[in-house]
Amino acid sequence: MVPDFLTIAEAAKLIEQRELSPVELVESRLKRIEKLDGQLHSFIRVLPEAAMAAARTAESEIAAGRYKGPMHGIPIGLKDIYETKGVSTTGHSKVMQDHVPTADAFSVTKLKDAGGVVMGKLATHEFALGGPSFDLPWPPARNPWDTTRFTGGSSSGTGAAVPAGLVLGGTGSDTGGSIRGPAAYCGLAGIKPTYGLISRAGILPLAFSLDHAGPMAWTAEDCAIMLQAMAGHDPADPASASPPIPDYRKALTGDVKGLRIGLIRHFYTADNEADAATRDAIDAAAKKFEEMGASVREITLSPLAEWAACGVLIMMAEAYAIHEANLRTRFTDYGEIFRDRMALAGLFTAADYVQATRRRRELVDELDRAMAGLDLVMTAAAASEAPKIDEVPKFAILERPSLTMPFNVTGSPAMSVCCGYSGAGLPLSFQIVGKRFADATVLRAADAYERAMPWRDRRPAL
Amino acid sequence: MTRAELDAVLARLGLDVPEAERDEIAANTGYAEKMAELVKKPRWVGAEPAHTVAFPKG
Repeated sequence: MVPDFLTIAEAAKLIEQRELSPVELVESRLKRIEKLDGQLHSFIRVLPEAAMAAARTAESEIAAGRYKGPMHGIPIGLKDIYETKGVSTTGHSKVMQDHVPTADAFSVTKLKDAGGVVMGKLATHEFALGGPSFDLPWPPARNPWDTTRFTGGSSSGTGAAVPAGLVLGGTGSDTGGSIRGPAAYCGLAGIKPTYGLISRAGILPLAFSLDHAGPMAWTAEDCAIMLQAMAGHDPADPASASPPIPDYRKALTGDVKGLRIGLIRHFYTADNEADAATRDAIDAAAKKFEEMGASVREITLSPLAEWAACGVLIMMAEAYAIHEANLRTRFTDYGEIFRDRMALAGLFTAADYVQATRRRRELVDELDRAMAGLDLVMTAAAASEAPKIDEVPKFAILERPSLTMPFNVTGSPAMSVCCGYSGAGLPLSFQIVGKRFADATVLRAADAYERAMPWRDRRPAL
Repeated sequence: MTRAELDAVLARLGLDVPEAERDEIAANTGYAEKMAELVKKPRWVGAEPAHTVAFPKG
């Protein structure tokens, strides 16, 4: 009997020791999807035959002594903006519902090469921006902790499927918080790696200069395992960098002694005021880091609204350019949230966009200066527990400044880490951010915190 | 931005926005205008845009 919940690291150990068969593991996830996804709507397309074939291949390879590493035989899901050869990739939109790619995205190829078993395509907000929407060809994903709640977005299906144990990990993308938001509301771990670390080639774009691909999983260790598989230079992505790729899992020493952490408290106590439970949980996490041997000091940056304005303006302008032709000819084929946000995006001028990119350089420099004597910064990932799914305003991304957007503006590695549960039993999270290409330090701190706290022991009761 | 101004902009953009959605969009144009103001700072004429993130040297 395969347990309902396994981390990638736990399953990998069992598979390597041949105590768990990839076929049994994939079969158990398919049964779980069948049983639970009617409530969660995390998948828009399940691929049982392909998944079972990949599981049997993994099993044969392992039996023949060709074990590839900790992703081998692991069931994962792909946000439906990651292109998959011969399998529809829709962006959760009517506009692209007939799009069948001829090749896998670079990062999908890498995950498959590492032995990952693709279980299907996961729900997203329309083109990674508009949601939650009820007027698209597929329903929005539901939060597994309370299905009347919002998952966050846009990597909504991954946010729902991982905590529910339908998959052990999944892919997300993050242009203004689309990995970290659902990770925060659904209580899993999600890292937006440094811009350029994972190829964007073969991933439907939202905004070229802000789009980051990344892993979402139950723990920081699992994110490290997935990141190891996904990272690497790709000449097909003009923003792809070619830094040395460290052993991310080896960096997880459990030790944060000597790390210097800046706490950006004004982001969540003044600029986008978080509720008391969230504030208390983040302050407690900062204190925990101190107890574990890190130093924590409060730092002040430009007001959050300035970071958010810069990022949102760039995001909206780039997205508008991408969708302009279809918006003119198929406006009502888009969902109402996406199309009306795009109507607002059309109001920005070319000069507005250039001014935002000039502001971006200033803000990148500002964070670099602030982090000169620091290893990490931390702040809130969300201002509250997940709201009700039918109470999310159409223009939510404009009404309150995003807590996650600053680190899309800077391209920094940033991760959501669960730091407790609200009175309603919903996850609370903080965000930990590193210097560019110091993704391993972010994972190290997140992993050490997770190991020191009991939050990873709780899963949604479905 | 008034509703009439919005209608004019949408016509120039070539967007066929349903009538039922226009008032709500018009009511929220202030957010876009505020963002455009926030990114305008007094700055040197040669202050460069950041088309991509600047990577560490070396």
